[in-house]
Order: sequence, then structure tokens, then C-alpha cells
Amino acid sequence: MILHYKCPSCGSDMAFDAESGELSCQSCGRHENIENFPENLTFATFTADEANEYHCENCGAMLITEAETTATHCSFCGAGIVIADRLSGHLAPAKVIPFSISKEEAVQAFQKWCRKGLLTPKGFMTADRIKSMTGIYVPFWLFDLNSKVQVHAECTRVRHYSDSNYIYTETKYYHAFRDINLDYVKVPVDASEKMNDELMDKLEPYPYDQLKDFKTPYLAGYIAEKYNFTDDQLFTRAKDKINAYIESFISNSFAGYHSVRYQNKHIDTKNMTSYYVLLPVWMVCYDYKQAEHTFAMNGQTGKVVGKPPISMGKVAMWFGGIASATFLALKCASYLMGGGFW
Amino acid sequence: MSESVNKQGFLFYLTAILLIFSFGLQAQVASPHQKQYIYDHAQLLTDQEKADLEALSRELGEERQAAFLIITLNGTGEKDIVKYVEDFYDQEAPGYEGPHGNTAILAIDLQERDVYLAGFGKAEEYLDDGRLDQIRGKITPDLSAGRYFQAFSTFIATSVDYMGYEPGVNPENILFKWWFQLAASFILAGVIVGLMAYRSGGRVTVNAQTYMNHQQSKILNQKDQYVRQTVTKRKKPSNNPKGGGGGGGITGGGFSHSGSRGKF
Repeated sequence: MILHYKCPSCGSDMAFDAESGELSCQSCGRHENIENFPENLTFATFTADEANEYHCENCGAMLITEAETTATHCSFCGAGIVIADRLSGHLAPAKVIPFSISKEEAVQAFQKWCRKGLLTPKGFMTADRIKSMTGIYVPFWLFDLNSKVQVHAECTRVRHYSDSNYIYTETKYYHAFRDINLDYVKVPVDASEKMNDELMDKLEPYPYDQLKDFKTPYLAGYIAEKYNFTDDQLFTRAKDKINAYIESFISNSFAGYHSVRYQNKHIDTKNMTSYYVLLPVWMVCYDYKQAEHTFAMNGQTGKVVGKPPISMGKVAMWFGGIASATFLALKCASYLMGGGFW
Repeated sequence: MSESVNKQGFLFYLTAILLIFSFGLQAQVASPHQKQYIYDHAQLLTDQEKADLEALSRELGEERQAAFLIITLNGTGEKDIVKYVEDFYDQEAPGYEGPHGNTAILAIDLQERDVYLAGFGKAEEYLDDGRLDQIRGKITPDLSAGRYFQAFSTFIATSVDYMGYEPGVNPENILFKWWFQLAASFILAGVIVGLMAYRSGGRVTVNAQTYMNHQQSKILNQKDQYVRQTVTKRKKPSNNPKGGGGGGGITGGGFSHSGSRGKF
């Protein structure tokens, strides 16, 4: 099933507009609120063989897509289309955070970010070689996790005191027990095989107050994918993400002791609920010195992540500058302390 | 107008520089009061070594305006070595700038295997008991092994070095070592630049609080039960300097001095 949005006024193609958060018509400028968008204007057709072949609702051309693609552009007429049967049933996203940064804003934000790089080469900082800028709705699972923690530990408190001849060290041993309940909600884990996990983790946090009930028009004009991994498959990764948080909560609960030796640590993490959501990411491909660099930008907050090239000249400059300034400062400190300058 | 001001300023600086130079030259021209630095009564040094040490003491002594003397003895004639050095100062009246002046003395007695270091005048202030202890610690192994020339050279060089530090600070403080300062600068620069490079790719800005549900996350139950206690004791470090000590004192002639005494 292919969804395609036609303007009720002029019949042109409509696409999601990041600035207004509504469907907008590029020809006549008409805006349509997505929550109230009349369903009869959503052209829905079932193609003959849904599994293999889709035809563009606008021009009739055959759509060539990857198996994961749920939203794309028709390569012939350019109309934004949504493949609805890849978004239904168990593949239906519960929520979506729509883009709030338009393509032009994304380009500007990326250029601004490049200029801020302290170690990036000069030629890179101008950011004038952007090869492609693609708005992608990346499939994520949001996990609501509950962890039950029971810890037994041997803890000590150490006190020093002295009389005229001896220094005494008094060590008091305690047996401590903690029963802890921890709830972590909406922990995001990206469910797309193509996306680099490390890159996606750095894009967080997403503003969850922007979460909207999923409606297909949000995808019009963007690329979207369906998930490659189910929530069960990603549960371990979700647990890994909160593991450090749990450990730090446990050690904080033993504050006040000088040493803590865990005798028995039992952590039981359960997946309470998990939702399938689509989160907005701008992917930036950038050509620099015959090499392609990939960056990702949070489509809501504008945060940019990805490894920029590093200029050895700038590294040497910073290193030399900091080292000589520190050396001079230490020399001055030594002089002030009466140690002489040389 | 401004040009004449500049000219005046230039002349002022020129005069100042010339004055400073002439003072410096005067100071260099003035020859030290002390003529002999090495009193090798025990015949421990060759003539060449003696001449080398004399030259070293004369050259470095000028830098600190102090005379660095070395006395070797084969028996002090019933006197204690401290008394010997005090009497020596009273009678011989050594000093860099004049009689009974700035003097640092290293005396060793082969019979009793005593070593005594003393500082008079400016050297009393800049080479206090603590610093003389440190110098003695440095040269004692060489003395024990019979490397007298090596030990005496170290005494002169180290004393000159220590007198470059203001009184009251520990000259062996690691902060004053150029290699430490250099290493610290390189490490700091390396860490900062490394961090900059590491963070250039964006960093994780979520923490334990980001996804936590604060209403539900808490300690439900806790117990802290006292089990036992142990007490260990160790002796307070004594404040007496080890290996002889004694320190400074006042000579029969009324000159106060710093000192450090030990065996080798």
C-alpha cells in the first residue's frame, strides 16, 4: 500500500514541513494540520503484489526500494511517498518525533558546528563540500526498564587518633544491605542495522515532550526505515546502557563508608514496556580530500556528532601553546615559592 | 614633541643600563678576601685535584658571594670536630667578602670518621641545618667509599645550588626541578589536546539522571550492622634528626652558625 499526499487546493504534492510541523504544499503554500488531515485525501491503493513491487501513486513509475524503506521519494517524479504496509501491524510505530529542523537550517547548523572545531583543518571548516543531506526517521525502541537490586557488602569506616607516642588506626567493620528499586524510562536503542550505534548514542537526548502519536503524513518528504531488530533482540543493549547508571546508584547508596567490598550483588532488570518509535536524524555526507565523512544531526536539537578530520598542524599548535604556557606558569610558581626561575 | 620625549626616555635607559653594567663589572673585578679554600691536612687529594677544587670553589663562590672551604684532618687533637671548626673560624677568620664573612665549611676527620658541615654569615641563613643535612646525605656515600674528590666537588656544587633558593624552602622540592616542570607541561598539554581530539566527534550528554524515574527509583530497605573493629598502632615519627645531628651553635668568638654532623 502506497500513501501519497495531494494538496486539496491545487493537487500538487505535499510534504512535511519541519518549521510549522504541518503538511505543506510547495506550489500554493497551503498548510494542513496533520492531526486533522482528512483521511479521504490519503490516497490508498493496494498493489497487485505487495511484497515485491510498488508503483508511485503520482506518476505510476515502479518504485525501487530497499526492504527496510518505509518512506522515500519517487525517483521519477520526486513525490514524497510512504509505504504503508511496512508501517502496519507489528511494524506500526507507536510514536514519532517529527523533524523541527529544516534542511536549510540543518545545513547552517552543520556549517556553524564545523567552524567551532578547534582541531579541524581550515579547508574543512568552511563546510562547503556537503555531498548530501538526508533526513531520515531512524527506528528506535524506547524501553521502560525496572531493576530490582539487592546488595550485601562489607564496609569499613576508618578513624585516626594519636597519643604522645603512637598513632592509632581504628577500622570499624559493618555489614550493609541495600534493597533498591530503579526505574529508567524511555531508554532509546536504535533498531536499524545501518546506523552506527556509537553515533546514535551520542545524538541523545531527544526531547520526549515532542513525541506525537504516529501518523504517516509526518514521513512525507523524508526517508524512513523499519526496524531490523525486535525489542527482545535489543533488550541486552538497553540493559548495557543503564548498567553504569545502576552501578553508580549502588555505590552512592554506600556513601559515608571509606571502603566497600561487595559480597553479593543481585541485579534483576525487566523490560516493563517497549515502544517502537521513529526519531528524526539528518545524515550529512561530506567530501574532504577524497575521503567521505559521515555526520549525524539530531533533527530536533541540532546536536552534531561524527568524527571530523584532525589537522596535525593545529594539534601541534595547541600542544606547543599549552605546554609552553604551563612551563612558564610552573617556572613563575617556582620563582614565587623562592625556588628561583632557573 | 613626542620625539623629544622618546629621546629622553632612550637616554634614561642607556644611563641605567650603563650604571648596572659598571656595578656588575665592579663586583666582578673585586677579588675575594679568601685566598685558600682547601686545607688538606690528611693528604687525601693529589695536587691536581687540590688545584681543581680550589678553582671550582673560587669560581662558584663568586656566584654566591661565599667561601666554600674543605678541611681534611687526621685527628683533631683531642677536640671535638665541631669545636675544631668553630675555633678554625674564630682564628683563621675566613670569609668571601672579608674576615669572618660568608663561609661554608666541610670538615672530615679520618680518625673518628666524623663529618661536619657548617654555614656562617649568609651561608648560615641559606644553608640551614636542614639543607646541610641534605648535602651531608648526598656526600656521605662517596666519603665512606673513599671518593673524596667526588664528595668535595658535590659539596661545593650542591651548596652553591642550594644557596640559589630562598631560605625556608626545600631545595629538593620536585616543583623546582626543570625536568619535572617540563614533563608536567608535556603531560598536561597531551591530556588537553587528546581530550579535544576525543571530544571533537561529539560526546555523550546523557547521564544517570536523564532516563531515571525519580518517583519510583529509591532505596526500599537498608541495614547497616556493626560487626567488629580493629585498632592498629604505630610509633610517631621522631623529630630528632638521624645520624648525629647536633646542628649549629655559637663559636667561642661569638659567631653563630648552622651545622650538620655525622659519621662516614
